[in-house]
Amino acid sequence: MKVGRGDNDFLPPRIIILCRENAVDLRYATEHVILRDSIEKFLGERYDYRFVQKVAASETGWNREIWGEFAKLGWLGLPFAPEDGGNGGGAVELAILMEAFGKHLVIEPYLATVVLGGGLIAALGSTAERQAMLPAVMEGECHLAFAHEERDVPTQAQRTSGGYLLRGGKKVVLGGSSADTLLVSARLGDDRFGIFVLPRGTRGLTVRPYRMVDGSRAADVDLTDASVPSAALLGSNEDAGDTVETVIHRAIAALSADAVGAIGAMVKATVDYAKTRVQFGQAIANFQALQHRMVRIKIKEEEARAAALFATLSLDGPAAIRARAVSGAKAKIGRCARFVHQDAIQLHGAIGTTDELALGGYAKRLLAYELLFGSTREHLRRYGAIIANPQVAATGLLMA
Amino acid sequence: MDLLLSPEDLAFRDEVRHFLADNVRPGMGRAIDLTTAFIVDPDVLIDFHRALHRKGWSVPHWPVEHGGTGWSPVQRYIFDLECGSAGAATYNASGSHFVGPVIIHYGTQQQKDRYLLRIRTGEDYWAQGYSEPGSGSDLASLKTRAVADGDHYVVNGQKIWTTNAHRANRMFALVRTATTGKRQDGITFVLFDMDMPGITVRPIVGNGGDHEFNEVFFNDVRVPIANRIGEENKGWEVAKFLLEFERGGRVLAGQVRAQFAKLVQLMKTRGQDDGDLRTRLAEIGTDLDAMEMIDISVLSTLQTGGNPGPISSLLKLRWSEIRQSIAELAMDAVGDEALRWFPERPLYETLQLPPEDEEMAAMVPRYLNSRAFTIMGGTSEIQTNILAKSVVGL
Repeated sequence: MKVGRGDNDFLPPRIIILCRENAVDLRYATEHVILRDSIEKFLGERYDYRFVQKVAASETGWNREIWGEFAKLGWLGLPFAPEDGGNGGGAVELAILMEAFGKHLVIEPYLATVVLGGGLIAALGSTAERQAMLPAVMEGECHLAFAHEERDVPTQAQRTSGGYLLRGGKKVVLGGSSADTLLVSARLGDDRFGIFVLPRGTRGLTVRPYRMVDGSRAADVDLTDASVPSAALLGSNEDAGDTVETVIHRAIAALSADAVGAIGAMVKATVDYAKTRVQFGQAIANFQALQHRMVRIKIKEEEARAAALFATLSLDGPAAIRARAVSGAKAKIGRCARFVHQDAIQLHGAIGTTDELALGGYAKRLLAYELLFGSTREHLRRYGAIIANPQVAATGLLMA
Repeated sequence: MDLLLSPEDLAFRDEVRHFLADNVRPGMGRAIDLTTAFIVDPDVLIDFHRALHRKGWSVPHWPVEHGGTGWSPVQRYIFDLECGSAGAATYNASGSHFVGPVIIHYGTQQQKDRYLLRIRTGEDYWAQGYSEPGSGSDLASLKTRAVADGDHYVVNGQKIWTTNAHRANRMFALVRTATTGKRQDGITFVLFDMDMPGITVRPIVGNGGDHEFNEVFFNDVRVPIANRIGEENKGWEVAKFLLEFERGGRVLAGQVRAQFAKLVQLMKTRGQDDGDLRTRLAEIGTDLDAMEMIDISVLSTLQTGGNPGPISSLLKLRWSEIRQSIAELAMDAVGDEALRWFPERPLYETLQLPPEDEEMAAMVPRYLNSRAFTIMGGTSEIQTNILAKSVVGL
C-alpha cells in the first residue's frame, strides 16, 4: 500500500512508509492518483463558490442532485466494506476525498451521513441492521446524523417493558436538519452507553435545525420521553463507548483532511492574488515583507498536512496512538487554520473581508473546524495529558 | 496500513538498542545532558564514534561503496531516534554530514582516498569556514583571497563564527579566486589542514559562557591546489550543495525528541502547576510531531547521498525554532533557580552540586546559546527568502 502526495512544487512529492516492505515510494499509488483526479475533475466542473453560496442559502443546505451524483460516483459507499456493498476504501482514500471537499467547500452532509452515521452502523450494527440501512445511505436515499454531544446532563435511556424511554438534549448534531434517521447516544448505566436508532418523526423527538457558520446545517435535538422499541439499540450493544470513540477519531481525521484542503486552497489563492494585485506599480508578491508572510502560511499548510497524515495513518493502530495522533492533529491544525485564515485575509486586503471571493468561505469553514468535536484548546489539553508521560514523549511516531 | 514497524524493523531496532546499551557509557550521557554548547565536545564522543565505526555504522547515510550501511529510510529513522533516546550525539557533523557528502559527490579519487576513511574513523575533525566579518547572510561577498602560485594557492583573509575551529584538525572553506564578473562565480571550495603555517585561531566566547565559535586568520597560507574541491570558481555550487545537507541532511527528530522528553521529565517536577507552561509544552509536542512526520517524508530523498533540495530550508527554519522553544520553556519551568550562574565550562567537569540539581545549572546557558540556532547555518530570514522562491515562484 502506498500513500502520499502528488503534485506539489514546494516539497518533493513524498510518501509514507511502506513499513511492510521497508521501502519508500514517492508517489500516490496509481489508484490514489485516479481517485484524486476524478474527484478533482468532478468538483472542478460542478462545485464552484457560487454554487456553494447557492446551496448554503437554500432551505435545506444541501443539493439533492449533486448528492445523487456523489452516489453514482461511489463516494457515498467509499469507506464501507465490500460485503456491505461499499467500495472498501480505507482512511487514506477517505482523506483524499475529504481534502478535496475542503478545497471545494462541499457543504453536503457527507461527514454526518457517511463517516459518522454510516460509520456507526458499519461498526456496531448487526448484519440485518447494516443490510437494512447502509444500501439506502450509499444510494443517496437516506441521510443520517449522530446526536452525541450533550446539551447539559447526559441523555438517559430508561428500560421499559417493550424497549426504552429516552430523555435528554443534544447539541451540534451535524446534518441533523436533513437526517431521515438519527443515531442518539444515551446512557444505560453509570459509565456505559448505547446508540439508539430513531427515525425522524419518532414521538418525543424534536429536531431544531440551524445554519452553521460555514453554511452547512446542524441541529439541537430534544428527547422528551421518546419511546423506542428494544430493537432500536444498535447492535444490541449496551457498551458502545470504545467503538464510538473510534468512529469519532475517524471523523476528526477526515475533517482534518478537509481542513488541510481548505488551508491549502487559501494559501494558493493568496499567492495567486499577490502575483496579480498591482500596487506601487508592481505585483505585491514582489515585496519581501509579504513574501515572508506567504512562506509562513505555506509552512503552516505543510505542518497541518503532516499532522493530518499522522492522524490518518494512526487510525488502524492501537487506541493510545490514535488518541495522541488525533488530538495532536486537531490541536495543531486548529492553530495552523487560525493563523492561515487571518494572514490570508490580511494579505488580500479589503477584498479578503468579503464573501466575494471563496476566501471568505474558507475562513468560515476553518472556524467551524476549530470548534467541532472539541475545540483546539480542548484537544491541546488532551494531547498534553497524553505526552505528560516522558516515555510517550520520547517515542517516535513510527514507534508510538 | 499503519505506522507500526515490521518484524524486520523491530529486529533492527533491538540490534540498535543492544549496541547503544553496550556503548553509551553513563558518563557520556551525563556529559551530554550537562553540555550547554550546541556541539558536544569531541572528547566526550570519540569512544562512541569509534565503536560506531567498528560496527560499520559511523556514516550510515553514505553510499555503501564509501562505507555507508545501505539502510532503508525507516532504518535510518529508527537509528536516529534510538541514538537520541539513548543520549548519543553526532561526533562531527561537519565531517560526516557536510563535507563528507561533498567529497563523495565532487571529490577526486585521491581526495576520497585521503579524507573519507578518516571521517569514518574519527581521526579527522572538521570545521566549516564560510562566514567572514563582512560576509554573513550575504555570503557571496566573501573576501578571503586565494591566488595561485605554482601548484599552490596563497591564501590571505579571515573567517569568523567558525564552530570548533580550536578542536578541528581540518577545515573546509570558501575563498575568492576571482574578483571580476558575478560574485558567485569567483568562489572556490578548498580544504585546509589546521596546522598549515599562517593559520591562527582566536576564541569567541558566547554570552552563554561557552567557547564554540572562533575567528580564523589566514596569513600567506600555502595550500595545495590539489586540495580544491571541484573546479576553480565553481565553489558556490559546492557550497550550496553542502548547505542543503547542513540544513536538511539529518533526521533531527531523534535529537529534538530526546530533548523534548527531557523537558517533559523536568516539567513533571517543576512548572507542572502552571497552565500556561503546560499549554506551551503541548504546543511544542504537536509541532514536533508534525515536523517528525515531514522528516519521515523527506527521508526518502536522502537515500544514497541525494541532496535534500529546498525543503532543507523549511526543516532548518522550523527545527531551529522548535529547539529554541524547548530551551526557552525549560528555562521558564525552572523559575528563579535560573538566577544561579556557573561560569566554568564544561559543567560536567566543574559542577559541585547534588545530582538532582545539576541540570538546573545548564538551563540558562542553553537558552542563551539557543538564540544562535536561528542565525547559524543561514538565518531564518535567509531560509525564508529561499523558500519564497519556491512558494511564490518569483
